[in-house]
Amino acid sequence: MNVEHNAIEVRDVSVEYGDVRALVDVSVGFAPRRIHAVVGQNGAGKTTFARVAAGIVQPVRGTLSIGGREVPVGRVGAARAAGIEIVHQSFALPPSFTVAEAMEFGAEGGRGVFTRGELERRWKRHLEALGVAVGPRERIRDLPVETQQAVEIARALVTDAKVLILDEPTAVLSPSGVEKLFERLRVMQASGVTILLILHKIREVLSIAETVTVLRGGRLVEGPVETSATEPHRLASAIIGSGLEGTLSAPDVDALVGAAEEDDAAGAGPAAGNPVAAAGTPILAMRGVSTRPDPEGPALADITLSIARGEIVGVAGVEGNGQRTLVRALSHLADLTAGDIALDGAEVTRRPLAERRAAGLRIIPFERNTEGLSLSSPLWENWSARQLLLGGVLRLINPARIRKACEAALKSWDVRFSTPNQPAGSLSGGNAQKVILAREIDDSATLIIAAQPTRGLDVGATAFVWKALREAKARGCGILLISSDLDELFDISDRVVVMLSGRISGEFAPPYHLGEVGAAMTGAGR
Amino acid sequence: MDDALVAILRSGTPLVYVTLAGVLAQRAGIWHLGLEGLMIIGACSAVVGTVQTGSLAVGLLIGIVLCVLASALLWFVIEILRANPIIAGLGLTGLGLGGTDLAVQAIYGSQASVTAPFGLPRLGPEFGAFGVLSVLVVLMPFVVFGVWVLVRRTRWGLQLTACGEHPFAARSVGVSPSRMRLYALCLGGVLCALGGAELSMGSLQIFAYGMTAGRGFMAFAAVIFGAANPLGATAAAFFFAIVQALGIRAQLLFGDKVPHDLLLALPYIATVIGIWISGRLRGGARAATAFGELRDY
Amino acid sequence: MNGPLGQVFRALVYVLIGLALCGIIFELAGYSAPLMFQSIAEGAFLSVRAWQNSLRWGLPLFLTALGVVISFRCGFFNIGAQGQFYMGAIAATFVVDGLSGAPAFVVIPLTFLAGLAGGGLWALWPGLLRVKSGTDEVITTLMGNFIATLFLVYVTSGPLKDPSGTGQAASSRPVAEMYRIGAANAVSPAIIAICVLVGIGAWVLVNRTAFGVLSSLAGRNPIMVVWQGAKLSRLGLAGFVLGGALAGLAGTIEVLGPIGRLSSGMLPTHGFTAILIALVANLSVLATAFVAIFFGGLAAAGLYLPVLAGLPAAAIDIINAAIALFITARAWPKRLAGFFGQRRSAP
Repeated sequence: MNVEHNAIEVRDVSVEYGDVRALVDVSVGFAPRRIHAVVGQNGAGKTTFARVAAGIVQPVRGTLSIGGREVPVGRVGAARAAGIEIVHQSFALPPSFTVAEAMEFGAEGGRGVFTRGELERRWKRHLEALGVAVGPRERIRDLPVETQQAVEIARALVTDAKVLILDEPTAVLSPSGVEKLFERLRVMQASGVTILLILHKIREVLSIAETVTVLRGGRLVEGPVETSATEPHRLASAIIGSGLEGTLSAPDVDALVGAAEEDDAAGAGPAAGNPVAAAGTPILAMRGVSTRPDPEGPALADITLSIARGEIVGVAGVEGNGQRTLVRALSHLADLTAGDIALDGAEVTRRPLAERRAAGLRIIPFERNTEGLSLSSPLWENWSARQLLLGGVLRLINPARIRKACEAALKSWDVRFSTPNQPAGSLSGGNAQKVILAREIDDSATLIIAAQPTRGLDVGATAFVWKALREAKARGCGILLISSDLDELFDISDRVVVMLSGRISGEFAPPYHLGEVGAAMTGAGR
Repeated sequence: MDDALVAILRSGTPLVYVTLAGVLAQRAGIWHLGLEGLMIIGACSAVVGTVQTGSLAVGLLIGIVLCVLASALLWFVIEILRANPIIAGLGLTGLGLGGTDLAVQAIYGSQASVTAPFGLPRLGPEFGAFGVLSVLVVLMPFVVFGVWVLVRRTRWGLQLTACGEHPFAARSVGVSPSRMRLYALCLGGVLCALGGAELSMGSLQIFAYGMTAGRGFMAFAAVIFGAANPLGATAAAFFFAIVQALGIRAQLLFGDKVPHDLLLALPYIATVIGIWISGRLRGGARAATAFGELRDY
Repeated sequence: MNGPLGQVFRALVYVLIGLALCGIIFELAGYSAPLMFQSIAEGAFLSVRAWQNSLRWGLPLFLTALGVVISFRCGFFNIGAQGQFYMGAIAATFVVDGLSGAPAFVVIPLTFLAGLAGGGLWALWPGLLRVKSGTDEVITTLMGNFIATLFLVYVTSGPLKDPSGTGQAASSRPVAEMYRIGAANAVSPAIIAICVLVGIGAWVLVNRTAFGVLSSLAGRNPIMVVWQGAKLSRLGLAGFVLGGALAGLAGTIEVLGPIGRLSSGMLPTHGFTAILIALVANLSVLATAFVAIFFGGLAAAGLYLPVLAGLPAAAIDIINAAIALFITARAWPKRLAGFFGQRRSAP
């Protein structure tokens, strides 16, 4: 039967960054006016694929056709002219721009000069038509994350898009936000737009997509297949790869691919075998902690939280609700206006970070590459930084001995490297994170703050991090785990607290329910 | 009072042109420390070109061409060779200062200053005290307005700002930050040539070694002080010019009581104070530079 | 091509590119480039006298460059070496002039202390502004250079003026013979000894102390060391002050040694050259020693250029500037081929 041409079709596309092969001979086509999902673990090549389709990345080989007509690869202008638009995972919106300016700078046609009033009028209509409730004069950086995403989608729809690609749009949204997004996507599909969603949770795929395609290691391993004709277990195997899958526990697999079912979405918390809160002095006791607003987020308001020995407390919440401020307050990088903090019974409210670290505080920071490592410095310097700060700054050191100790430590953490002298930036994301773990999780650690520790890591590395955290917990460490991945939180944490606008809006014990936690994330009554 | 205004306009105009060049570069994402070198190339070309060819227009044109070429060279070194912009800018400044010195030496055989037979066209006696102002001074407000419209009221200007603030956003709409920087630097080159020409030919018609005396760096400071906004930076540039004019005035009035050199140092001190205030208002400088960090494009 | 050997090679290539660009400029200006390079070689390295001259200029450059290396490694762009050099020289001259008559073993150490303090303090104020108020240090240290230059002019035509001056360049009274640590325009064992000691101290500080590693990390990613609990402001300030003190030390040596007095307009490009040396040496202490001698040779040769090739001495400044333009380039030539040839995937 002669069907019309695929909305997007790629043939034999390969992308290489130096030695790394991000996509290998990928050939796939997507039918028009449907909602398609492309899934895979981190590092599988999903974002690269999306960017090739949008013309942002140029492959070394391969062709791209839109609506049956071949389009030159690697040219954003050509792709946009053919009707493809992409909504990026971390929005392509300059923070100082107003909403109207953000719409304008990517627009085509019309006059290139304008007065401020003209600009706002021009785009007000567009925003209203899309149901985006935001004034054209507001600045991007002042908008909450969900509104920024709505603006980003509006930006992509400035031209008449025939194909809309969304790269991991659900990562930053609360569960109800995800629902709203999916509603909007269904409306767009009804008006004739083909939608390609990059996702990595099977639950979401089954909820919104009509077809699903799986990438693994840069190759196409499955699809496009109808989602109605497939089942979660097969998808999970395709995503993870059967070799690795065999080494993981079933709840872990479900958490890794976001396959747990809607209702008891989220396991019964950590396996019964692990002891929960041990009695005795809590490792962390925060009482009534408030701070000033941070450039990175809202102020903390009256946070009272404690973590017991051998307990993992998960912090859920949409990004930008005070999680970063919380970590900074615990690290003495944000000033407290009220309240106090005690580590293992000792008051540390006014103690500088170096002293808190000496008392056992460890931090796996949000941003691996800027806060956790110095990418151009050698591994041994990165690894030894914490210890070097333990003594006088002018004391003599023996670099040869430090290098050897570093080598031994990194090997025991299964880091793939060739020499301790190589720059940290030469490691893959997973290995770089292991270096941070090797540095932070040592025997004298008592409280570990793990901020988005598995973001951007592939399945193997993610499982490794979980194992490391569980082992630390078994040794008696207290762990504060901040994550936007509810599956991860539900699988690992002994308790989950939810942050909203700088406050704790809910506290939950297992078994966790996605609906309740989701409601606490947005403050909606239930 | 009129005389004071004239003095301020004369000393401010060269600074404003160069400041606008700095604004364009800053918006595109480049810390332009080569402004001083470009300014002196402009100043030298205007004088030497006029003396050698007898035509002011040719002198100006030579200045523009040289400044644009030098800007393109800076672009090449920063974008293609990925050098550190601050050091590359200082290198360009050094080349400008040394190169103009060499040129004067090569053409005239000695390092004395060069005098041109005539300067830029002036307004003329009908304008009273303001008659001595050159056409470039009159042009200046229009150029300021033009740059402001370009940067703040055109799509191109938004794309330019995106290149400096969020290069990935620029690329995702099909704009090449690299190419945009080339345009910004070259356009800035033209402005620096004009600023340099006004400096040398606007009042005294002389070129002397090192006559820019740090004005290019003051212009850069004005850019920071004005947060890369064309109007704000222009105001900052005028602030520095006023301090400079005050210093010269004070020399006449208090010549024997206050050391001459201290008064000469006023503009530099004012620049430091201006940068400090700007830092307090806006909370912090760019993070301490990392020498080896990968650029985030 | 990324190991230390590769970096040295790359630095050499870019130095050569800078030299080549200069050769073109000089040819265009009507001078003979080959003659120029020959004069440079003669003036810098081809005789014992040339080597002595190279050391005379290179050793003070070495000290100032060490200061720049330490400053830059701490992550701050302290480009005020010229001003710190001048302030150190001025402070030293005040002391050696004011204490004239006292025994040498009292005056000389005090003079050195004054020089270190002068340079250190002139770096302290931009450092404080940066660390306490976030005021960008590039502009403040640059302005500091201009201010210090004017201050030098003031001091040598006013408080410290040499009454028997010939009127050419304003300068101070010559330093008394008994306080001199070296003969005019020459290098001396005392100066060499100071440089060796300071060099060893700097090497140990950078390579064998915790400060060295931490400041190196801070220089490359200050945010990361803050998250480790380092007091970035203290590390940074230490870098600033050490940098200034070393430049001031070089100034003191010039006043007590080869120049023998304070002179307005002395060594006007010393600071910029020191920064260049630090960059060519890729912030390594050991490499700084060799690179400083090389640039000292260039400076020595600069005096020969008017004699041998009819070029202004400023030709050396042009060479330095050209090298500065290219030296921080990170792209390797094969990337240039990629730019002109087949387009590769862009990330």
